[in-house]
Amino acid sequence: MRLHFLERTIDGLHAGLALALDAENSAAAGGLLQQLDARVKVAGLFSLILAAALATRLWVIAAVFALAVALAALSRVSFRVLATRVWIGALAFTGAIALPAVFLTPGVALYRLPALHWPITAQGLTTAGFLLLRVETAATLALLLVFTTPWMHVLKALRVLRVPVLLVAILGMASRYILLLLETAHEMFESRKSRTVGPLAGAARRHVAVASSGVLLSRSLQLSGDVYLAMQARGFRGDVYLLDDFAMTRFDWLALAAFLALAAAAVWADR
Amino acid sequence: MHIPDGYLSPATCATLFGGAVPFWYVALRRVRKALHTRLVPLVSLFAAFSFVIMMFNLPLPGGTTGHAVGIGLAAVVLGPWAAMLAVSTAIVIQALFFGDGGITAIGANCFNMAIAGALVAYAVYRLLAAGAAIGSARRVVAAGLAGYAAINVSALLAAIEFGIQPLLYRNAAGAPLYCPYSLSVAIPAMMLGHLTVAGFAELTISAGVVGFLQRSDPSLLQSTAGRAAALGETAARALRPLWAGLGALLILTPLGILATGSAWGEWMARDFSDPAARHEIAASSFHRAAPLRAPEGLARWSQIWTAPFAHYAPPYIRSATFGYLLSGMFGAGLIVLACLVVARLFGANRTWRTHSCMPRPHSCRRPASAGPAGVEKSLDTARTSACATSKEPAT
Amino acid sequence: MMLFETTDLTYSYDRVTALDRLNLSIAEGSRVALVGANGSGKSTLLRILDGLNFGQSGTVRFRGEPMTEAHFASDEFAFSFRRQVGLVFQNPDVQLFNPTVFDEVAFGPLQLGWSKSEVRDRVGETLDRFGIAHLKDRVPHRLSGGEKKRVALASVLVTDPAVLLLDEPTAALDPRSQSQVIDLLVEWGGGAKSVITATHNLADLEDIADRCLVLDGGLVVAEAAPAEILRNRELLERSNLIHAHRHHHRSGELHSHPHVHPSE
Ligand SMILES: Nc1ncnc2c1ncn2[C@@H]1O[C@H](COP(=O)(O)OP(=O)(O)OP(=O)(O)O)[C@@H](O)[C@H]1O
Ligand SMILES: [Mg+2]
Repeated sequence: MRLHFLERTIDGLHAGLALALDAENSAAAGGLLQQLDARVKVAGLFSLILAAALATRLWVIAAVFALAVALAALSRVSFRVLATRVWIGALAFTGAIALPAVFLTPGVALYRLPALHWPITAQGLTTAGFLLLRVETAATLALLLVFTTPWMHVLKALRVLRVPVLLVAILGMASRYILLLLETAHEMFESRKSRTVGPLAGAARRHVAVASSGVLLSRSLQLSGDVYLAMQARGFRGDVYLLDDFAMTRFDWLALAAFLALAAAAVWADR
Repeated sequence: MHIPDGYLSPATCATLFGGAVPFWYVALRRVRKALHTRLVPLVSLFAAFSFVIMMFNLPLPGGTTGHAVGIGLAAVVLGPWAAMLAVSTAIVIQALFFGDGGITAIGANCFNMAIAGALVAYAVYRLLAAGAAIGSARRVVAAGLAGYAAINVSALLAAIEFGIQPLLYRNAAGAPLYCPYSLSVAIPAMMLGHLTVAGFAELTISAGVVGFLQRSDPSLLQSTAGRAAALGETAARALRPLWAGLGALLILTPLGILATGSAWGEWMARDFSDPAARHEIAASSFHRAAPLRAPEGLARWSQIWTAPFAHYAPPYIRSATFGYLLSGMFGAGLIVLACLVVARLFGANRTWRTHSCMPRPHSCRRPASAGPAGVEKSLDTARTSACATSKEPAT
Repeated sequence: MMLFETTDLTYSYDRVTALDRLNLSIAEGSRVALVGANGSGKSTLLRILDGLNFGQSGTVRFRGEPMTEAHFASDEFAFSFRRQVGLVFQNPDVQLFNPTVFDEVAFGPLQLGWSKSEVRDRVGETLDRFGIAHLKDRVPHRLSGGEKKRVALASVLVTDPAVLLLDEPTAALDPRSQSQVIDLLVEWGGGAKSVITATHNLADLEDIADRCLVLDGGLVVAEAAPAEILRNRELLERSNLIHAHRHHHRSGELHSHPHVHPSE
């Protein structure tokens, strides 16, 4: 059965919220990555993503992927969450994109499809493998970061990648109000749903989406004005200061060294 | 539309990131100047908004659904520079927290959507809406087409970036390392989806919300409306930094090389059905020891860069890949230079400053006689009425 | 010298005139309540007193110094003013713009240039005092209304301003939280501070104020001690602060009397 359009949008909004909240919860669970300084995680996981991106051999990427899975296990990030949030989605999306390459890439034909005579080439399989493995690896590593670190720590830790403090502040504020706007939108759709009997025609559904966006836009701009006043009231003059209560322990340094060594090993093995 | 990790090579990502940096720099300076300290809340809230409407499931004719990115809307309401920052912020948040779009591809996604998209949308809007009254239907149409053009230009850029991957990055056996499709496949495949579904979603949201604002909050449209005169010129100017940047990329990166005539980009569509041709291509492609077979043009370009290195330098410095990297870096450098020059040109131009701004708070109210009061006043009104539309929850 | 003094202060939004040639003076160290119905201009007045909005005509003085936009353009005046005056907004979603509670409370001190260790200590202390230490790492979005309000109060009181402007500090709170917040405020003031509170909650009036200004249609229509205002039924009814409340008695007779909502 086709889902009601309003319901589908509400589901989407819910999923967004749920994802954010899930991340917040699992960041509190004890595990290997949870114990590390956020800066170590940002630098370490990013270097692994980079190593996977640079690799030119499948087994190197596969090794990084295995490492990511091991890290997930050690950090009590459940495979079910990883599968539903990352693996299946990426497999479906990138798989669909990679599939034609199996036939289209010229190379040594390994097999021909019976009726169509399309060749499956070794090169085609390799290239599809590259795409899929790389996508899965990077997405797993990225999700590990979010799932083992509170948002604000991720944001502040971005400073180690030389992200300007102004942008960190903007990212922080945006992520704070995303939740508010998501909920506002959610309420708008819910109340609309409660007043709607039966499915809406296409034009009417578009109208709902457009009107909701319009209201949300007005609300966002109004909020931005009021928030500005509230910032001023507490002494904001355009300069941003952040308080980061990060402290590196010996374990953190060790972990950082391990991350960088593994990333370097991956790059070296790839030569 | 959001390019994930793994589709683009790190070098491409780095180049596009480098191409985006000068735009961010100029945008930050410009918006800071226009909005002073209001920049932080405005960009944050608009980023949050653009993030949320990406979740709206928009029913499209033909039974499909799509979602808008809100680039057109951002450019129409905020002007190109603030829009760039807001959409970039949304992209970063999506990549970091929701796994939508790759982390290494952040620069590429921002370049395609936030930067090129915002500039194109703004130019189209200003061109088509030139001289129209705030409430006129022409503004609705202009906004819709601005969104449509923006998302399609972004898609085209992404397709080009995809298309050059198999040309440049293959393993020893000839299997593409990143996106496997050449330009002749990537461009039609990407554009088909965007000229129809995604483009229509963007069009609907941009046009629809502008129409909505005309009725509920017309003052929000004031800041980018400009005066009737000299609008076409401003719009054309809006695109200038983009053309400069793209020009540099075109000349110096493989796209230009492709134009000089390479065989590799073309094999897919034409020769797929012809086994003889396939065999030939395969033979010519893979029976080579070199890890990367450079097309003629690339070879020529890379020689310019690698030639100065003496023969006792490590071999990779003399390789075609290194030449490509250098030309990529040089291209990025040229973009920076072009942007700085362009920024200088614009710095002298007052119209620009006023166009990229947004509703100002009451605290910035100035006496009516002072300089750009017209615009500021309308912006003031904009905020006031924005506040009037929705009620504070805790009264 | 008066703490705040306005003469013929007028402020209008697009079409609405929120303050209409308003005159008032508030003495140093006093505790004043601004009461008035919805839309009577309380929030507008507080924002003007906090130097966030500026009237279209008339003057506002803070300890004798005119509060104009030009004055606030100077960092020196702005910082010294912000150090002394704090405003708690009516809508906590506007006030809580930081991603976590800890950052929220630390925002003000950091802006005022405190050293980082000092900020850390003071924020920890304040969180404890307000009983919200356990919320430290939470996102403001998921707090309950009462928790939000407390965080908002903490985020302003952490810098210990000498003058406190409060916009409906007990709105949307359950009765217990209301009295907790009132207790906090009473305890905090200790008599030495100036507190200006906007409210339409008459029940707490005598706890939070020594003097009471009634606002109606952008004007001060009455000014007296809270007890006196509360006795002036006719004034309260005219300013929409109370309404006649009808109910049936068991005898069947219909009875009507003015009525105050204690927890609005
Ligand atoms: N941003 C705004 N734009 C337009 N009009 C406004 C705005 N804010 C307030 N007003 C109007 O100004 C008047 C005074 O509003 P104000 O918020 O100061 O009242 P209030 O006494 O705080 O009310 P409440 O008890 O509901 O908080 C009202 O008529 C209101 O409609
Ligand atoms: Mg109010």
